[in-house]
Amino acid sequence: MLLSALIFLPVLFGLAVLALPKQLVRPVSLALSLVHFIASLLLFRNFDPTSAGLQLVEQKPWMPDIGITYFLGLDGISFWLVILTTFLTPLVILGSWKSIDHKIKGFHSALFFLTATMVGSFLALDGILFYIFFEASLIPMYFMIGIWGGARRLYATVKFFIYTMFGSLFMLVAIVALMFMAEQQLGQMSSSLLDWYKLEIPFVGGELLSTQTLLMFAFALAFAIKVPMFPFHTWLPDAHVEAPTPGSVILAAVMLKMGTYGFLRFVLPMFPEAVDYWTWLFIFLGVVGIVYGALVAMVQPDIKKLVAYSSVSHMGYVIVGLFAMNAFGTTGGLYQMLNHGVSTGALFLLVGMIYERTHSREVNAYGGLAKVAPWYTIIFLIVTMSSIAVPMTNGFVGEFLILLGLFKAHPIFAIIATTGVVLGATYMLWMVKRVFFGPESAMVKEHAAHGGMDLNWREKLVMAPLVTLIFWMGLFPNHFLNYSKSSIDHLLENRMHYQLQVDNSSSPLKVVDQRGVN
Amino acid sequence: MEISFSFRWVDVLLLMPVVVLAVSSMVPLLIKVMSGGREPNSFATMCYGLAGVIAAAGWLISMEGTRRVAFDGALVFDGLSTLIGLAIVFAAGVALVFSRENFATNTDQFSEHVFLMLNAAAGMLLVSWANDLIFFFIGIELMSLCLYVLIAISGESRLSKEAAFKYFLLGSFASAILLYGVAFVFGTAGSTNLQVIAEQSQDLISSNRLFLLGLIFLVVGIAFKVSIFPLHAWTPDVYQGAPTPVTGFMATGAKAATFVLFLRLVMTSAFAADQANRLIEIIQWMAALTILAGNIAAVMQTSVKRMLAYSSVAHSGYIMIGLIVASIGGEQLGGSSSVIFYLVAYTLMTIGAFGVLSLLEKDEDSQIHVEDLRGLAKRSPWMALCLTVLLLSLAGIPPMVGFFGKFFIFSAAVKAGLYWLAVWGVIGSVVSVYYYLRPIMQMYMRDEVGAEVCGDRYLSIGAVSVAAIAVVVVGLFSSPLYQAVLNALRGPT
Repeated sequence: MLLSALIFLPVLFGLAVLALPKQLVRPVSLALSLVHFIASLLLFRNFDPTSAGLQLVEQKPWMPDIGITYFLGLDGISFWLVILTTFLTPLVILGSWKSIDHKIKGFHSALFFLTATMVGSFLALDGILFYIFFEASLIPMYFMIGIWGGARRLYATVKFFIYTMFGSLFMLVAIVALMFMAEQQLGQMSSSLLDWYKLEIPFVGGELLSTQTLLMFAFALAFAIKVPMFPFHTWLPDAHVEAPTPGSVILAAVMLKMGTYGFLRFVLPMFPEAVDYWTWLFIFLGVVGIVYGALVAMVQPDIKKLVAYSSVSHMGYVIVGLFAMNAFGTTGGLYQMLNHGVSTGALFLLVGMIYERTHSREVNAYGGLAKVAPWYTIIFLIVTMSSIAVPMTNGFVGEFLILLGLFKAHPIFAIIATTGVVLGATYMLWMVKRVFFGPESAMVKEHAAHGGMDLNWREKLVMAPLVTLIFWMGLFPNHFLNYSKSSIDHLLENRMHYQLQVDNSSSPLKVVDQRGVN
Repeated sequence: MEISFSFRWVDVLLLMPVVVLAVSSMVPLLIKVMSGGREPNSFATMCYGLAGVIAAAGWLISMEGTRRVAFDGALVFDGLSTLIGLAIVFAAGVALVFSRENFATNTDQFSEHVFLMLNAAAGMLLVSWANDLIFFFIGIELMSLCLYVLIAISGESRLSKEAAFKYFLLGSFASAILLYGVAFVFGTAGSTNLQVIAEQSQDLISSNRLFLLGLIFLVVGIAFKVSIFPLHAWTPDVYQGAPTPVTGFMATGAKAATFVLFLRLVMTSAFAADQANRLIEIIQWMAALTILAGNIAAVMQTSVKRMLAYSSVAHSGYIMIGLIVASIGGEQLGGSSSVIFYLVAYTLMTIGAFGVLSLLEKDEDSQIHVEDLRGLAKRSPWMALCLTVLLLSLAGIPPMVGFFGKFFIFSAAVKAGLYWLAVWGVIGSVVSVYYYLRPIMQMYMRDEVGAEVCGDRYLSIGAVSVAAIAVVVVGLFSSPLYQAVLNALRGPT
């Protein structure tokens, strides 16, 4: 019941918010999102990190005729992503206290619906259920960018929606094909992931039209657009620049992870032969993304766009890590997903905070910010360190593990990817230099004259947990990795014949019963 | 050959929904005549119509589980008849409510309007029950004649006359071709009964060119009625010119009824024969081009009604995919169940969308453009939300019912090995998202002043709400509906 509660609590909250009087919307939403976060902390009590199986499983027939079930479960792969989602919602609400000034009911309602669909897609273990959450998450984000976004918001939001939808519809066709394959091989239509893992999907190496290759690419396209991998990334800068700060934070920190999570949950275990054959392609595109994203970020005049392109670069690391397919690489990839969520989320929040004061995101318009906003500068520097992977911060652990794993698997690619680290440091530090140091620019002087340039207590409160996490995750990675270790080891060891067991007390029997009856 | 005719009273009982509709359609006319040609209170008139609709629906529900043919096998009463019959009378009832509260239809000829609408519904019921080509033709003509006049008596002065005339001329051509086809089939098979034709079709199609020709003419006639490419050109003009409630009724009821007959025709297994391969191939291309033409043209429209008209062309294309699967054998149940599910889903969402448009029209001549929807979310948030849900459902976004409709269609196509049609449909859906999002964008992301919802049209608002809520609820719990569709189809047809 806990997992269902995590999905449906925010739905209820989203409806409840609509009924509130206007002045209560913000505090109540904050309280409700904290309730949701605390509820998600109950997962720590019920989750057994030593097991690689699925835990807290809930399975109920939904459309028995065609084998669709309401099937939720948690394992080491999805565990931290769920916590990340619930953790960011209160921060985003607190962070947008001032910046969202119209239609606040609709905004908070959309935010809660978005949270519900994101948690749902991390927990769903039924292909159709996953697809529904995956697609439904577009609707609140569409409204978020379109209503509260910047000047070109309409263009950006439509591009975002159609681009993402285009990829996932091919995934739908592949899902249908897998359901019929389950009927042929297992005697019954099924969209349960556990059944899909059992399928023997025909594969002929080198043949583009062999079944497994086609299915793999249908899934990979949907996730590659979501991640986004080079060359499917063009929607991302538009969406990020036009989205309001909270939208950017959620988009970068969680929604992009739905893509990489999809690779880890669907593509790697379900199509092992095809993945083996095409690994080079994914690694190649990942590495190109790392370098290309960094180079383009370097020349951006707009801070937010710079951060957006740095996302392309960082997500490239995640992809190469996952496809390095060894313990270091894949663990690093998973860790980097969380790191990116924390550090890029923090960067977008910081950019939003200064934008609220000066209404400018032009790098050139700034200068000498360090003198007038010391707290802001210190926190921005810490987050920058995390983003460029300085040791002791979380970014270092992730990138180091990824490069280590990649070096073991594909040394040449690893060398190229390493240049991305240097380029990353270059564009971030160059931007920091121009924005924070040097003489104060006219704009900064003008705004500093009114005072209030530095962070207020609310903004410090938003950043405090993120900064804490940056160091915590950098100094004690095992506190986090322990929860995912057994699942990742299990995935890598049994990749060619991946199976997931359902753990925990009564659920396995129930599952067998339902399948038998239908 | 001997023509015999036997009459049994039980057949009349089965026919009661049509009889009820026909009888209750007379009431408003009689009252008008009795009161010396003065138009009676429109609310009362609507109530007489609704009473007939509700009685017909009740009768249909009580027929649940009936599996028999009537009038010497000319009409068939099975689960399918009941299910689609209910969808048709639902559309008729909702369209009646919209008509009362729309300026183009609530004129001094409202009694006639109700009369025509109920008779059109009766015609649709006959079409969807027909097991005999003659009855099919009678039903189609009853339905079409009523629709021609319904469009022509609209209070709108310019577009509606043109639309009615266009529809009448082209529709007559189509009917003539259809009848020509019926004649050929009768001449070669010796019967107009679908069961009898089914028994011989496999032989005839390989031995007799005239039979094939007859089938082709039938397909052409039907394709016109459900606006399949290249016979769809009338759709936007007629849909735009017709008063909005009538458009909604045409787009749902007429389409559902005709598609059911089409389904019954393809399930005669005439199309499963080797010789029909070419025909099936052509129909596949027609489906693909319908999706393409409908979606591409819809992108370019500025009038919401024309956009919905083109989108309904595209939806016909999706339904055709399911029909093709049903016709080629092997996956008949999968194909036909997807068609029926889609028709029911399509009826719900389309009638709702036209209902919102009807609510926005402030006089008989008003044309709603996409731009007019600006800022609607602020002025009437509930209606804007309803339209959003309906449009997202039409676009096939989960968890709305439209998604499951497309899901069943595409899965039937994948199962039958028609991957290219499934992928084609998918690409069409992506295009369609663009134009379905545009009104939503205007409603929520612009603040300027546009069209208003007239607040006192409570019944219409209620009907739209019912459709929108049903779209979500049936989407989340689509299993019972799908089960009902399967049950309806599994019985002997």
